[in-house]
Amino acid sequence: MKEGFGFRSLHPIIIFMYYAGGITFGMLLFHPLILLVGWVMAVIVNVHLDGGREWRKWCIPMLSGVVLIAVVNPILSHRGRTVLYYLGDIPITLESVIYGATLAISMLNLLTFFVTYRLVMTEQKFLFLFTRISPKAALVAMMAMGLVPRLRRRMQELILIQRTRGVTISEGSLPQRARNGARLVGTLLSWTLEDALQTADSMQARGYGTGTRSSYLGFRFRMRDGWTLVGFVSCAILLLSAWGNGHGFMTIYPRLGSFSLSLGDGLALAAYVVYLAIPLGWEWRDRRAWLITNYRR
Amino acid sequence: MAHYELQKVTFTYPEESMPALRDLSLAIKHGEFVVLCGPSGSGKSTLLRLLKREVSPGGTISGEILLGQVPLQEWPAKELAAHVGLVMQNPDNQLVVDTVEHELAFGMENFGLERGAMRRRMAEMAGFFGLEPFLDRKTDELSGGQKQTVNLAAVLMLQPRVLLLDEPLAQLDPLAARELLGMIKRLNDEWGITVIMSEHRTDDLLPLADRVVRMEQGKIAYNGDSRNFVLEAWGRSDEACALPSITRWALEQAPPPSHFAEDEPPLTVKETRRWLDRASESLTDVRNTSASSEDSAEQKASHLAPSAASRVASTVNAKSIKPLLAANGLFYAYDKYSPIVLKGLEWQIRRGDWTVLFGGNGSGKSTLLQLLAGLRLPQRGSVQWEGTPFAKMSSKQRYSVIGYLAQNPVLHYAHDSLLEDLRQAATRAGAHDPEQEARNMAERFGIAHLLSRHPHDMSGGEQQLGALALTLLSKPELLLLDEPTKGLDPMTKLILGKHLQHIHKQGTTLLMATHDVEFAAAYANRCSLLFHGEIVADGEPESFFQGNLFYATPLHRLIALGEATPR
Repeated sequence: MKEGFGFRSLHPIIIFMYYAGGITFGMLLFHPLILLVGWVMAVIVNVHLDGGREWRKWCIPMLSGVVLIAVVNPILSHRGRTVLYYLGDIPITLESVIYGATLAISMLNLLTFFVTYRLVMTEQKFLFLFTRISPKAALVAMMAMGLVPRLRRRMQELILIQRTRGVTISEGSLPQRARNGARLVGTLLSWTLEDALQTADSMQARGYGTGTRSSYLGFRFRMRDGWTLVGFVSCAILLLSAWGNGHGFMTIYPRLGSFSLSLGDGLALAAYVVYLAIPLGWEWRDRRAWLITNYRR
Repeated sequence: MAHYELQKVTFTYPEESMPALRDLSLAIKHGEFVVLCGPSGSGKSTLLRLLKREVSPGGTISGEILLGQVPLQEWPAKELAAHVGLVMQNPDNQLVVDTVEHELAFGMENFGLERGAMRRRMAEMAGFFGLEPFLDRKTDELSGGQKQTVNLAAVLMLQPRVLLLDEPLAQLDPLAARELLGMIKRLNDEWGITVIMSEHRTDDLLPLADRVVRMEQGKIAYNGDSRNFVLEAWGRSDEACALPSITRWALEQAPPPSHFAEDEPPLTVKETRRWLDRASESLTDVRNTSASSEDSAEQKASHLAPSAASRVASTVNAKSIKPLLAANGLFYAYDKYSPIVLKGLEWQIRRGDWTVLFGGNGSGKSTLLQLLAGLRLPQRGSVQWEGTPFAKMSSKQRYSVIGYLAQNPVLHYAHDSLLEDLRQAATRAGAHDPEQEARNMAERFGIAHLLSRHPHDMSGGEQQLGALALTLLSKPELLLLDEPTKGLDPMTKLILGKHLQHIHKQGTTLLMATHDVEFAAAYANRCSLLFHGEIVADGEPESFFQGNLFYATPLHRLIALGEATPR
């Protein structure tokens, strides 16, 4: 589904809150079961937004990082009472294995969750938020974003043509290649700076700097944003009060506690899951609208 | 009431002894379409920039510039920025932000407009320019013509009363240029915006302009309407190269009489057709009879190609010779997902050819040239140099026998001065005395006075000549040129043509991709058309142009129209 439907239709501030909250809660809660459920929710959000394509792209780097954490923690940390076995003379404890696994799930959860950020928070939405904070910095960010593809394309052209003159980074001795590379970058920069003067003229000509800037980007705060906000706040209150009373995390050190969830833990889990699922409500609602439209046709 | 008024303006750049503008007085009325022309360095850009205070160059100025009877420097910044809009030459460099919609909004944001007002203007302007489908696109993905349209629209968002255009068409292909020009004309006609435009392509502009101002060495050399401009230029035969070829032809047929009808001298094909008909009706008026005027049109056409007969001979002979460069079944696409550019292209370049490659925008002319230069590798098929596939030649060998001149000459420079660049190229070519070789080359191309200049500080024409010199230092047998005449003024174009002619005479085979039909008609001995990834037409210029209406000079069009009418 495109911009303007489902999760993506929400106001940038609400989207920003969702991710800020989701990441905070993901870090506050430290119980393998709760985090595992959170991860499943994050995957579901991914699947809803783009069929999991973006998430699959990140799968391998994410998994390798996570496995690394899970393996390294027990090797480096020897806290905990229950020693499983000795690796040489390094004691591997049950507690540090569990701690490593939980930490790994926590990381996996946050990363998976953050993958969707890129899908929902488009540049336009980000700039809208950013312009509120600092209009000048937002403009610079915007110009930089426009410059990156231009620089990349120019570099490709330059590499192609300069090869005919023997200025290339794919042939010759290493120092020669390094010199050529520096020459290419230098040429690209002086060329681009030369052009930047014209860009500055173009900005001046259109009245840049004659007064305070306004912003063209506009997003309306709608009814559904209000309802979503109410949902977020109530979930957050529930979750934080449970957390404040010592629920939502598992005792691992010095001795491994029970995996089972207490009532408070259950409350925290429920609030967390509902919080993560709220935007999906809009996704389902709009999807139904599409179904109805399609049947009528 | 004059809108803009310059009173005895003299302007000198800092650290220059000669003023760039001298004692210049000019009055421009509301809603006028004024074309500024003149050779490079005659002060056109300086004048335009002085009219737009925000981008005025530093220097000493005397005299007065009035806008609506108020001196320019007394205008409040905001009003002035909105009142006068400026579009410059390079489509890329004027774009500030990343998406089209935001680019259009940029000016309005600077003025702190309300969001509602901005959206309303956006809707209007996007509608007028047909930009709605592009609003969400990145400006970087657009074609040159579209970019320039966005630049124009972005300026108009501020609702200016005066539009200054500094060679806005120079970087565009003819089709895009004509489209943009039509847009500018509409703005002038329908909205009454005053247009002041500097441009080399006067042939398209003369029929549209209310007034032509020709500048020479910082002074106004001519100030009047288009038809008188033509007569005046014709009178001083030296500058006739800037005239539309069709007008020049008509004037050659019948030297200007003392009295002219309203649409004489003719500026367009349509007017020339009418002029011909009138001439054939009244046998006594013009010395040519109706029959001979048709004949002379054809004679002239064959005259355009100076040595048509000898060219035919050379191409006949060439058929028996082994081709210099042969493309066998080339397939090329930029990546797996993008559309295929070349589809099994077969082509041969023979020694002694001066081939011109035509083709629409994005038809793959540049890509083909890069493949033929060995810069890119085809996915299928091969390119052979005198029967040897490229794969069996070292890249250095390839680059030395085949010279390649890119569309953007800036790409060829990599050092801090022209001399350094030339010397480096000479060293690579294995010259005994690189320094001397470099200086000789610069001398030959008339750019010796620029040797200590940074290549980026040279003008477009100088960069083009410099890049040509660089390429020629390796003494290539085949020279591939990608749009060599883009953005050049008529004088520089003539110089470039002379140099190329010289190189060709010395035995270098030339292949150039271009949109410039007139240039091709004047020099080439073979024309080819690239369409849908294949060469669809290939032959001598005469037979090539006669079959075409679009890829043809106005003169050929006139003849084609003449032939179509039953006699």
